[in-house]
Amino acid sequence: MDRGTVLASPAARNLSIHWRATTSRLLLAYGVFFVIWGMVLLGYIYWETRHYLETRTDLQLKQQITYLRSLDEDHMLLALHDYVILERTNYNAWGLFDSHKKWLYGDVLQFPSGLAIDSDSVRMPTEQVISGPFAPPTPMLSVIATRLGNGEVLVLAHTTRIAARVGGIILHALWWGFSFTLVPGLIGGLILNRGPRRRIRQIESATQPIMRGDLRQRLPVSNRGDELDRLAAIVNDMLDQIERLMGEVKGVCDNIAHDLRTPLTRLRSQLYRVQQELSEDNPHASLIERCASDVDEVLARFRALLRISELEDRRRREGFVAVDLGETLERVYELYAPLAEDQQLQFDLHAEPGLVVQADPDLLFEALGNLVGNAIKFTPAGGTVTLSAALGDAGRAHIEVADSGPGIPEELRHAVWQRFYRGDSSRDGSGHGLGLSIVAAIAKLHDFELSIDGGGTGTRMGMDCPLQAAS
Amino acid sequence: MPHILVIEDDEITAREIVLELAAHGISAERVHDGERGFERALEPHFDAITLDLMLPGMDGLTLVKQLRERGVTTPVLMISALGDVDERVRGLRAGGDDYLTKPFAPDEMAARIEVLLRRHRQEQPAQTKLRVADLELDMISRTARRGNRELTLLPTEYRLLEFLMRYPGQVLTRAMIFESVWGLRFDPGTNLIDVHIARLRRKVDNDGEASLIRTMRGSGYRLG
Repeated sequence: MDRGTVLASPAARNLSIHWRATTSRLLLAYGVFFVIWGMVLLGYIYWETRHYLETRTDLQLKQQITYLRSLDEDHMLLALHDYVILERTNYNAWGLFDSHKKWLYGDVLQFPSGLAIDSDSVRMPTEQVISGPFAPPTPMLSVIATRLGNGEVLVLAHTTRIAARVGGIILHALWWGFSFTLVPGLIGGLILNRGPRRRIRQIESATQPIMRGDLRQRLPVSNRGDELDRLAAIVNDMLDQIERLMGEVKGVCDNIAHDLRTPLTRLRSQLYRVQQELSEDNPHASLIERCASDVDEVLARFRALLRISELEDRRRREGFVAVDLGETLERVYELYAPLAEDQQLQFDLHAEPGLVVQADPDLLFEALGNLVGNAIKFTPAGGTVTLSAALGDAGRAHIEVADSGPGIPEELRHAVWQRFYRGDSSRDGSGHGLGLSIVAAIAKLHDFELSIDGGGTGTRMGMDCPLQAAS
Repeated sequence: MPHILVIEDDEITAREIVLELAAHGISAERVHDGERGFERALEPHFDAITLDLMLPGMDGLTLVKQLRERGVTTPVLMISALGDVDERVRGLRAGGDDYLTKPFAPDEMAARIEVLLRRHRQEQPAQTKLRVADLELDMISRTARRGNRELTLLPTEYRLLEFLMRYPGQVLTRAMIFESVWGLRFDPGTNLIDVHIARLRRKVDNDGEASLIRTMRGSGYRLG
């Protein structure tokens, strides 16, 4: 089944979740096996019963015909009459033919073709033996023929309603049996299924903080020791390892940071001192200034890197408060408007009122500032940059920074949020390519969703933020 | 001559701080560990303190908290290794006056110390008017004039001018301006503050008038 259609309606989705559960599948497989086995068993009983009843009928026919043959003709005809009348519960027919198989008396009007005389009874389709209003409702008859002393041929046909009824009873039993076992079985199965599903939900909610980066969390393990517990224990072991490795990686990063920090600071201050000591007209002054600004650049990158790693490390959301998006956007707009004007860009703000989200206001500002600064930087003069916030779908606010710049090719969009990514050479500005990584880290911390659209005709950077529920 | 107490365990950083302050005409005394630092900080003759947060003996946060509990109001510039936002918030709550993360540019550190010194000295009854050369700012009516020319300023421009005028003759780095005027602490790129200053400058300086806002090479801006 296509995933898309499954997700289309909640009911269908719910059903599909039931359907995918291991217990449900086992139950279904077991159910199918049970049905097949039940059918085989009942089929066997049916076949055995029928066989027994038919053998009995054959024996009865043989005894009857042997008895009838021993009577003289008048007695025989009387006995045949009684035989038909007395055994109403079963169906009996007879026919008497001369030695050339021409009809003399009886209901069987024509000698059944292919019927051997003086042998065991055979089963024949009813219409080959008898037709018309006296024909029995069963499709098959047991037929036997014998040659009498005067050369005439007596044919007896017999069918037992019991054999037909037994088949019906067994079919009924099959149907009701399945109804009585399968329906409660399925309901019971669904109920049984709820336990594991509840635990899966617990595991799911336990993994949420882990996916947000809190590696200290572990999956819940009950004392039942079943498959789910074993799996959870395995995942927990894995998380222990990951946490340890992440700690080591972070340790290495911190060490590098620590080792680079001092010489960088020293280099910057020594350059600064040289700069102060040189007079303005010294030929080396501009060289020193370039060096100093390069070191400043390195320091800025360094700070940005530390900032990202700090943001990625953050678990607590203490600083989160209700933030009015309109207000924040207004402030961002005010901060960047002169820059846009300086670059001869049209800068517009559209913010729907009343959009409130849970966020760290400073970090949200930083993220938006980075997006707007980026848009302004990469949009050529005469273009437009638009900052907007509107009510999006699924109770979320959609913030968008759109520009009329060169756009980002589709295949590069996912890389944009990674560290040190900076478009092609045409985008080579003064930025250090870490701004968008900071945006990504902030968005991740807030559970905001980032998106990039457009291309060729501009870029639209989107950020979807869950709205704070009205209190 | 202002006298500063530098509480810093890293030898090289400490030397740089002392040298840089000396270049700005500020004398400094250096202490290696937290406990000694605390004892010295209680002495009344220091005008400001630079304090590393990671110290042997007593950590910086505890140190500044205990200083404030004892009624010592000497301004403290806190310096920490990693730029942890939460740590900055904790540091400022504990009673620190400003916060700087390593690696820092020494002139940034010196500029911040100078602002702290001035702010501390200025803590007199609140002024209602600021005056620098022929520039005048009325903080009650929120108006500014240069000579007898009224300046029409947007709210942001007013706040920017107010900040510059509070510290005349003092180098203010872009980061300091961004923090004080916008209350934000991230790197918005050097360009952004320059553009705002340029706008303000166009309003403050008429043709032919001497520019009051000076750009300081490699560091920031200075008014007057």
